Amino acid sequence: MPAEIADEGTFRVRIEDGRHVDLLGTYVLNQLYITAILVLVVLGLAVVFGWLGVMNMAHGEFVMLGAYCAYMVQEAGWHPLLSLPLAVVVTGTVGLAVEGSIIRHLYRRPFDTFLATWGLALLLREGVEVIFGRGYKSVDQVLPGTVDVLGIPYPAYRLVLFSAVVLAFVGLFLFYRASTLGARIKAMVTNPVLAEAVGINTTRLAQWTFVFGVSTAGLAGALLAPLVRVEPFMGLDYLLSSFFVLIVGGLGTLEGLLIGSAVIGGVDTVASAILDKSAGYIAVLTVSIFFLWLRPHGLYSRR
Amino acid sequence: MAFIHAAKLAALLGLFSVPAVWGSYAAYELGLYLVYGMVGQGIALCWGRAGFLPLGQALFFGIGAYLAGGALTTFGSGWLVLLPMLVAAILIPALLASLVGALVFERQVGSGPYFSLITLALAMLGFQLANSMEWLTGGFNGLSGIPDLLPGVDRFDGLYYVIVGFLGMTTFGLGYLLRTPFGQLLLAISQNEMRLQLFGFRTGVLKACTFAVSAGVAGLAGALYAPHQGIVTPQAVGFLLSAEFVIWTAVGGRAGLAGPVLGAVAIGFLASGLRDTLPYWEAIVALVFIGVVLQWPTGIAGMIQSGWQLWGPDSRHQPAPMRDIALPMPPRRRTPVLQFEDVTVKVGSATILENLSVSIEPRSINCVIGPNGAGKTSALNAMTGSLPITSGHIRWGQRRLQGLRPYAVSALRVGRKLQVPSIFSGMTIGQNLDIALWANRIGLLERLTMTPYRWRTSVLSALEDRFPFLRDGFRMSGELSVGQRQMLDFALTVASEPELVLLDEPCAGLSVEETGRMTEAISELIAELDATGIVIEHDIDVVERLSDRVHVLHQGQLLASGTMAEIRQDPHVQAVYAGGSKV
Repeated sequence: MPAEIADEGTFRVRIEDGRHVDLLGTYVLNQLYITAILVLVVLGLAVVFGWLGVMNMAHGEFVMLGAYCAYMVQEAGWHPLLSLPLAVVVTGTVGLAVEGSIIRHLYRRPFDTFLATWGLALLLREGVEVIFGRGYKSVDQVLPGTVDVLGIPYPAYRLVLFSAVVLAFVGLFLFYRASTLGARIKAMVTNPVLAEAVGINTTRLAQWTFVFGVSTAGLAGALLAPLVRVEPFMGLDYLLSSFFVLIVGGLGTLEGLLIGSAVIGGVDTVASAILDKSAGYIAVLTVSIFFLWLRPHGLYSRR
Repeated sequence: MAFIHAAKLAALLGLFSVPAVWGSYAAYELGLYLVYGMVGQGIALCWGRAGFLPLGQALFFGIGAYLAGGALTTFGSGWLVLLPMLVAAILIPALLASLVGALVFERQVGSGPYFSLITLALAMLGFQLANSMEWLTGGFNGLSGIPDLLPGVDRFDGLYYVIVGFLGMTTFGLGYLLRTPFGQLLLAISQNEMRLQLFGFRTGVLKACTFAVSAGVAGLAGALYAPHQGIVTPQAVGFLLSAEFVIWTAVGGRAGLAGPVLGAVAIGFLASGLRDTLPYWEAIVALVFIGVVLQWPTGIAGMIQSGWQLWGPDSRHQPAPMRDIALPMPPRRRTPVLQFEDVTVKVGSATILENLSVSIEPRSINCVIGPNGAGKTSALNAMTGSLPITSGHIRWGQRRLQGLRPYAVSALRVGRKLQVPSIFSGMTIGQNLDIALWANRIGLLERLTMTPYRWRTSVLSALEDRFPFLRDGFRMSGELSVGQRQMLDFALTVASEPELVLLDEPCAGLSVEETGRMTEAISELIAELDATGIVIEHDIDVVERLSDRVHVLHQGQLLASGTMAEIRQDPHVQAVYAGGSKV
């Protein structure tokens, strides 16, 4: 669950400092930050599931691969920034291979993609265990220290991350709306047969859409690596929170992704802050079940 | 059938002789895999039969295990503890599952991934709670020192026979359930849930019940697991075990009840053999699993079965019970008037129906015509609960039809044939007709008896005379031609004996000769049912022959209403159909 992401530390430290005035500000900053992190993590699944209809159960494992890339870069003593291209290359290559060998045969059988990618998730976890072992790895902070935001000291790395996500999201949003590639993807999503008939190579388009989706997951993993524990099973939490975001937000649009991330992130932080991590988990689960029950298409969907 | 029963009995006897042949340690190991296989049987019921995949069965398994472990350590083993313990270990998971199932399935048609993810998340939550609630579960170290199930039933000796006995019970019990009408309805859900709702079946409740049964079986397996292992840790609730249950079921074969057990036993022994020599054997299991999903969806059991069919007797052609119980037609009420009052339907910015007001007299055949996009099908959708209306009322006598779910509309004796033939194509013609005969008629307990398979009605006989291919009960309906599918769909709609028959383009795709037969059948059967008919049709000859009244829709509004002759004279209709200004 996002509990890994939802670091309550900052929140509590502020209270002990006695700077109650900052409490609300910190809370808002945290909420924005958590939403951004969720957007970053879910984006890849929103693309792969929302557009291609592939229920990628290995989504979290691609995040995990990205995080291990950051660990490898650190072990090799390279510059931390190199972890980003490495994560994209590694997850992109794995994604390309997986698309060609498994996913391609299953585009019209969504339930089977669910099962096959689940097997894939097992395989990736096992593979990583073989190479790195089962234990936790930690990746060092890249930008230690804080920056003052409206008088509130806030961790610098989080701010950088937040800004990067906002920029990337806005860029993607504009790109999807305005570019011909976006239009071709839209065509493929709404009617693949017709799209093929008007000359769109949907096989290749789907392939690269899939690769794009999983490499953003890898990127997310590399960016989050300094903030979380890196271990073979870390992907599960991300998988579930990603699906919950999509349940709440609705499939197929970037707006829904944003709304879903805000709701799930908010519910989790509030419940975790009031009680404990399990409470956050239960709250998110309950909200998701009620959404499935009352609004199965989410808050904002293209339907 | 007798042969299959004999095979099952032989398998059971074989299992009983394992300790004598291979020794008690092999039997101890096998006992664990059989317990796991029981959980897989529940998964096969949900996934192989009803088409939805529960991904967190370890939650129920673990609850059963903790309950049994707690009861045995607190009260000691004995007959007095055994019965209430087993009842609790079955009922508590079943209740929890029915609650979750009711919440998730009730408002959602289809078996998408979300249900599976919810169950997975529940299992992960259970794992977290089992770890943190130390006062109840013993936390990370678990409940240990669990005594034997009964005094004298040693876990290395007697318990194995108890497990085999319970496995026999679940196999025969679930096997019976699969053969009952309930089991056939589950198959229909996996094929075409929406259509089943139009026959008045509340599919969400059916699925929730099925999920509850599978959870009960998992709980029972858990209750056997606790004394077998002597310890229950949070692993018994966790995600990993849940995942393994599904993998065993998939690899063994999800279509029947033997497959999951086979899968659990095969992978179990394979793993215990490989674990020491090959540390990463789980990767191999994952690869096998991917291969099964891609290439062999029926698993080991399916492969054995298709191998068997090459030289064995063809089990598909077993004699079905005769339809020898004639049911009377339910008493007809005074069929009311159907009224659309200012019905407006808006979807987004598009107006589908605009202030549509029309009144349909009882016991007449009404044809609805109009250009494409006039709102003909949408008008039917608004009646059968698949299109919410923005304003206005749809009344059928005293009842309002709007805002009801499809099964509730059907319960008011409204039958509908969809525009595209919608049948249960993975089932035989006979099974399709069963479903229609059961519609709004089969009682809750009757679903668990075999009598409803013998039902016959006068309407069914009339249909068989009209369309002789319906007598070929063993033929798969998916093999039918487009025309025959239309006829079957029509037959299903009529065989459910509605008082209001909605037919959406019943003659589309039919040859001239078939159209003639269909037209005759429509007028004959609607008369036999003493029902009101609404027929959407483009073929003007059909409209002429069938209709008592014709209603012309255009751009979501009623353009004209009257007899065919009146409609022909209407200048507005002429303008729409013959070109000129499009109003």
